Amino acid sequence: MRNINNITSEKKKLPESKRQFCSFQMAGHFFGVDILDVKEIIDEVVLTKIHHAPPEMLGFVNIRGHVHLVLDLRLLLNFSTKSIDEASRVLLFHPNVGESFGVMVDQIGHMIEVEERLIEYRVSEENISGIARDFRKSELEKGVCKLKDKLLIILDATKFLYAVDLKR
Amino acid sequence: MKQTGIATKIILLSCGIALLLMVVGCILVVQYEIELLNNMTDKKVEEKEHFYLYSLYKEKKLLSDQLSNQVNDLITLMQSVDIIYAQTFEFQIHSLLMHPMVFAAEFCDQKGKSFLAAWKSKTVQTAKQFPKALPLKSYMMINKKTGIPSVERIRLYYSIEKIEEQLQMLKEQNINELHETRRNVYKKLNVLFLSQSFGSFLVVALLGATLIFSLRWLILKPINNLMQIAKQLKKLDLSVDITPTMASHELNSLAQALGQLLEGFRKIIADVKENANMLSGSADNMTDIAEQLTNQSEDAESKANIVAEASVQISANIHTIANSVEQISDNMDGVSSTSDYLFNNINSVANAIEELSSSLNHVGERAQNGTEIADKAVLLAAKAGKTVNSLRHAADEIGGVSEFIQRIAHKTNILSLNATIEAASAGSAGRGFSVVASAIQEFAEQSSRAAKDITDRIASVQKGTSEIENVFKDVSSIIKEMNESSDSISFAVIEQTKAVQEIASNALEADERARNINISIEDLSRTVNDAADNTAQVAMGANDVSTRIQGVSESISFNRQISHQINETAIVLNHLSSNLKCMVDPFKVSHQKSNNNNKE
Repeated sequence: MRNINNITSEKKKLPESKRQFCSFQMAGHFFGVDILDVKEIIDEVVLTKIHHAPPEMLGFVNIRGHVHLVLDLRLLLNFSTKSIDEASRVLLFHPNVGESFGVMVDQIGHMIEVEERLIEYRVSEENISGIARDFRKSELEKGVCKLKDKLLIILDATKFLYAVDLKR
Repeated sequence: MKQTGIATKIILLSCGIALLLMVVGCILVVQYEIELLNNMTDKKVEEKEHFYLYSLYKEKKLLSDQLSNQVNDLITLMQSVDIIYAQTFEFQIHSLLMHPMVFAAEFCDQKGKSFLAAWKSKTVQTAKQFPKALPLKSYMMINKKTGIPSVERIRLYYSIEKIEEQLQMLKEQNINELHETRRNVYKKLNVLFLSQSFGSFLVVALLGATLIFSLRWLILKPINNLMQIAKQLKKLDLSVDITPTMASHELNSLAQALGQLLEGFRKIIADVKENANMLSGSADNMTDIAEQLTNQSEDAESKANIVAEASVQISANIHTIANSVEQISDNMDGVSSTSDYLFNNINSVANAIEELSSSLNHVGERAQNGTEIADKAVLLAAKAGKTVNSLRHAADEIGGVSEFIQRIAHKTNILSLNATIEAASAGSAGRGFSVVASAIQEFAEQSSRAAKDITDRIASVQKGTSEIENVFKDVSSIIKEMNESSDSISFAVIEQTKAVQEIASNALEADERARNINISIEDLSRTVNDAADNTAQVAMGANDVSTRIQGVSESISFNRQISHQINETAIVLNHLSSNLKCMVDPFKVSHQKSNNNNKE
């Protein structure tokens, strides 16, 4: 719980203890990141490849004169990589999440507003003695939100860059 | 090895008997020697026994003599002395006992009673008399009168046991030596026996070998020669030469007799063979001639048969001709009636054809009309096709527009999302704006859905138009085909009209011709009746000829049977002669002749 308190989004809690998530789909799974971490969604992406970079780094993108790093979230979550198509979108995060960067997702969804009590947070102490990969995955997944017909996996945007380092 | 069987048997038997005899002889000799040796040793043992007894006796005598001499000496010594002291007696008796063989001694007085006695127990003991326990009776005794008043008698007891023992020992030693020598001799005899039997075996083997060689050389070889000759004779080969061998004159005379016998046989068989050959040649000739005869008569018979058959066929043919001529006359009647019928029919056909010609004209007009209508239909179809094509173009344009709308909707969606994000980051101040953004998102989604709907609809419209286009193409091609076929119909109708007119004119002519045919057929029927009568007469004549030819054929077949019999007898003769030849052939008279036979 100490980790959760440190995150900026936790500090700006909505008065009715409701939280908003930006949802997206990846490999048939339903993921979400806190909307307060998201800066912008971009549809038309022109990537500039970084040579000798790890495969998780797809490249740089120029948004209105600012250069952002784009990560492949599929690889970070250990799915197989997929080529960019019409439905692919880039989620750019706030500078307070990390340095200016974004992730590539398969398909963007709605903004979802859920009550705090529907979210179940993971307790990270339980998984301390896992192998490195398990550790990373569990760190990326902050918790799970039970929606009416499906589960929303809530990811921690602040850990993405850290995950790339860990994978090396 | 069958030839050597007798020889080996004889040799083995004789050798075995010789070996047996030698071994038995050997055993007998050895037995005899052993017996002799035993006898000799027994005699020696007896001699030793005798010698022992003799020497015992001698020793005894010698001892008694010695002792009596000693006693006599003592007596003379005592006589020479006047007074004898008791100590002297004791000394004397002790000196007597010095002799190792003397056991005891006593001195007796005039009354015969002993006054001094000495004996050996462990040491020399002396007393007046012997104690009664002493076994004096088992010892020898010397009793002497002295003639001296003080000592009447001297009795001396002595034993010869030691001498006996010594002699006994000597004897046993000798006997043992004898036994030892005998045992040695036995051993030597055993060795001798073994060597003797081995030597006899060697001698027998040598004898057997020489016997085998001599038998083989002298008897078996000539017998083998004779046997080989006999084998050849068994194969009926008389061309063998018997040469006398040098082995023995008995076998030589046997071989010579066999040779003479062979010579005689050879001559006889050669004669018989020659005669058989000649006989077989003449029989062959005869068979050939008989066969020729048979063949020729068969040929004649077959030819006669053929002629007879041909004549029968001729008569049959003539019959059929007569029949067919009659049938023709019948048919001719039928023909004349049919030609009447034909004439009537042709008339009616001519009428029908004229009616057909008029109806065909009508059909031609209708076909022309159809062609014009088809042309018009083609034009209309082409126009419809163009219209459909323009419809499709319009649909394509609508598709482009709807795609554009969809893109705008996507953009709007992203815009609304970004707006929502901004509103969220503004916190509670942006809540109103967030509602607006979500409404915009809703709109964007709705417009996207509508655009997708339009795209789907347009796609189905495009599919429909392309189907219509295809259908129009099909329809215009069908109309074209229809047009072509109606053209060809009208052309065909014109042609048919012409043909029908020609047919009508031909039918009229046919009418005329039919009438002429009718008349000429009646004439023909009359002449055919005449011909039928004539052919019946010819048939009767032909029958007669055929019966005569059959008679000829029968006589020829009788001839053939006779010639066949001759042939059979000739074959039998040939068979007999060849049998004779076969019997004689196996005898080979000489090398050259047999070769000639083979060539023949």
